[in-house]
Amino acid sequence: MSDAEHPNSTPGVEWPENGEQWSDGEENTMEESELLQDVVEEDEEIDLYNEETFGLDAVDLLFVDGKQSPAPPASPPPPSPNEASPPRPKVQIQAQAAAGLCHEARSSRERGAQVQLLDDPAVMRTVEGPPSLKSLDSAIVDCGRSSCWGDLNANTVSRSGVSGDRAIVGVIDRSARGRIRSPLQLPGERRPLQVLPLCGIERVRWVSGGFLSPSPPRFQALAPKMMQVRFGPNSPRPGSCFSPFPSPVHRFRLPVLATQLHPQHKRLLSQRPPGSRRRLKSWDHYAELMSAREKEWIIKLQMMQLQSENPLQDDYYYQEYYRRMEVKLAEEEMMGDRSKREPPKLTTPYVTKTVSYTPVVHIEGSLGQVTVSTCHSPRRAIDAVHAHTPEEQKDIRQQRLEVLNTIEKCYVTLLGVEAAERMKTTVTDEEENRRLMKTMQRGVEEINSQLRNLNSMESMEEFLPCLLVLKGKKLLARLLPFLSHDLGLHLLRAITMHLPVLMSRDADEGLPVLYPPLRTVIGSLSFSQLVSVLQEFTAALPDSKDSRLTLACQNKFGLSLLYALLSQGERLLTSDLPMEPSLGDFETWTDTVFQVARQLSHTSLAEPLFLPSNLLTLFCRYLDKRTVQQLRNNMESSTGYLAVGS
Amino acid sequence: MSDTFGSLVGKDVVVELKNDLSICGTLHSVDQYLNIKLTDISVTDPEKYPHMLSVKNCFIRGSVVRYVQLPADEVDTQLLQDAARKEAMQQKQ
Repeated sequence: MSDAEHPNSTPGVEWPENGEQWSDGEENTMEESELLQDVVEEDEEIDLYNEETFGLDAVDLLFVDGKQSPAPPASPPPPSPNEASPPRPKVQIQAQAAAGLCHEARSSRERGAQVQLLDDPAVMRTVEGPPSLKSLDSAIVDCGRSSCWGDLNANTVSRSGVSGDRAIVGVIDRSARGRIRSPLQLPGERRPLQVLPLCGIERVRWVSGGFLSPSPPRFQALAPKMMQVRFGPNSPRPGSCFSPFPSPVHRFRLPVLATQLHPQHKRLLSQRPPGSRRRLKSWDHYAELMSAREKEWIIKLQMMQLQSENPLQDDYYYQEYYRRMEVKLAEEEMMGDRSKREPPKLTTPYVTKTVSYTPVVHIEGSLGQVTVSTCHSPRRAIDAVHAHTPEEQKDIRQQRLEVLNTIEKCYVTLLGVEAAERMKTTVTDEEENRRLMKTMQRGVEEINSQLRNLNSMESMEEFLPCLLVLKGKKLLARLLPFLSHDLGLHLLRAITMHLPVLMSRDADEGLPVLYPPLRTVIGSLSFSQLVSVLQEFTAALPDSKDSRLTLACQNKFGLSLLYALLSQGERLLTSDLPMEPSLGDFETWTDTVFQVARQLSHTSLAEPLFLPSNLLTLFCRYLDKRTVQQLRNNMESSTGYLAVGS
Repeated sequence: MSDTFGSLVGKDVVVELKNDLSICGTLHSVDQYLNIKLTDISVTDPEKYPHMLSVKNCFIRGSVVRYVQLPADEVDTQLLQDAARKEAMQQKQ
């Protein structure tokens, strides 16, 4: 039977009695399942095909008769150039047949199993197939084997007699690396996973194909350089690569057309040209480090990484290069130099952009970003700069951030100063005391310089950025006690000058925090200084008809400041301490008092933080009783308690 | 930092975790890692975490805490800020 189909086969080859000859020493159980799956995959394909073609009885019929099935051609058409064939997801894998009969089939135990299988083809059994080199569906590896019929014939000598024998599969020895040749090429499609009665299929396959059924053909890995060819026209279609599991479509094949090729035939059609045969000689020691599935998986990953929705931007050189090459080829084709040939090109699928999440979580008003760990950014540092601001607000934010940063640094120094102050009270040693004083002074100066550096503009704007921020107000409030008298006065002036702005932008009511230290400063003012400060109050503002006075009446802090100033003036006047008034001080003072009194009586007043007790006394001296009464009512209505006075 | 929380033991706080869960409860104890033990907890915000309904006490690992909301009147913010600054200074050194 076998001789009839393989006239060239070595006559007299019997069923191998010694199974050891068929198997090599190495056994890799890991690949056994792989092999098995490929076996069953192809088995099923063949089974289906045979059923469709010949009917259910074909199996035994063929086995008995040994006649070749008409459907599969005895000799496949000459292998077409691979470049022309459509890209196949499966790489043609062939076993190398360096020494055809060197490696034999499985051990006798397998044969024993085979015997059982032979008895009952209907038995579904999981047969441990001999380990395969690679699965049929490996996308990349191509042992470069050409499956010429000649080869087939030459090497099937030993197989011819092993029809239906599991040993056929066993022949395909993994470790042999394809020394047992599989003359068959793999079809392009993935074969479904299934467990099938191998025995019958073996027969069928053998018979119908007329060639050895290497359902798990032993394949040798391509030398790495050969792998590149797979990315040509034969590049695996990404879609089919992407699932490690075969498509279930194959499992349930619909009624087939007459022209459907036998799976083995399909394989043969896609076989490589004979020239690649010599590559079989090269032995790759690393051929089976990875199974075909693993390789596919890696390739899938790599292909996925290549996907991009903007290939021109991501891979400019490649795209451009191949565009130019294609242009060149088109030109050549026009000139009739050569037939149009598609240059090998790696095509990656273009993907639509996935929904982008916002990894940056920004809470309004915060300085930075919340630390959010995501899968893309496991740890994200908090930036001091907010990334999402619209452009026009960026500068303001930048400035604000700058100010806040400076304030924070000043705070550190301030804490040191305060600590030194505390220590000063406990330390009695003179030396220590002096050292502490020095530390404090240095600290204060540092803060001052820092705050002034904030605004490199005119000196009038000093301290303003700091004052506008609540943190800055608190800082200055704590700093004031440490400032010298002049510096304190300077700050007071600055505050008075900018009072309207401060009051209008004091959303968080931070100004009152400045009141107590300022009161202390005011308490140390001389009369002239006081008058000059008060003048600011009554002076008309440049951009509005209101004076600071009118505005201050509405504001707690402003009013309190005003009261404090007036109170200080009164105190100075009524005290017995010698004053050194400058020229015109008294007039200014009187004018101011009148103005203030007038204003206070006319407008509704805010509730001050503190109502000095000598205010009414002051007013009494300058104003008539009626006005004073009016003032008193006004002031009292806002404060809720009596203003002590005569 | 833990001593700041130490002064708050016995007070009601709301702990917001990094998984957006907010837990209100009485602060039972805090350790150096800012692990927090809460007693008598309830899930604030919408009760979309019903699996916490039966839980009375819980231990929260410090690293998963995003915020701890403190009662405003029981905390000296000034002191807290200063303490935080000092600690930041120390950490820098």
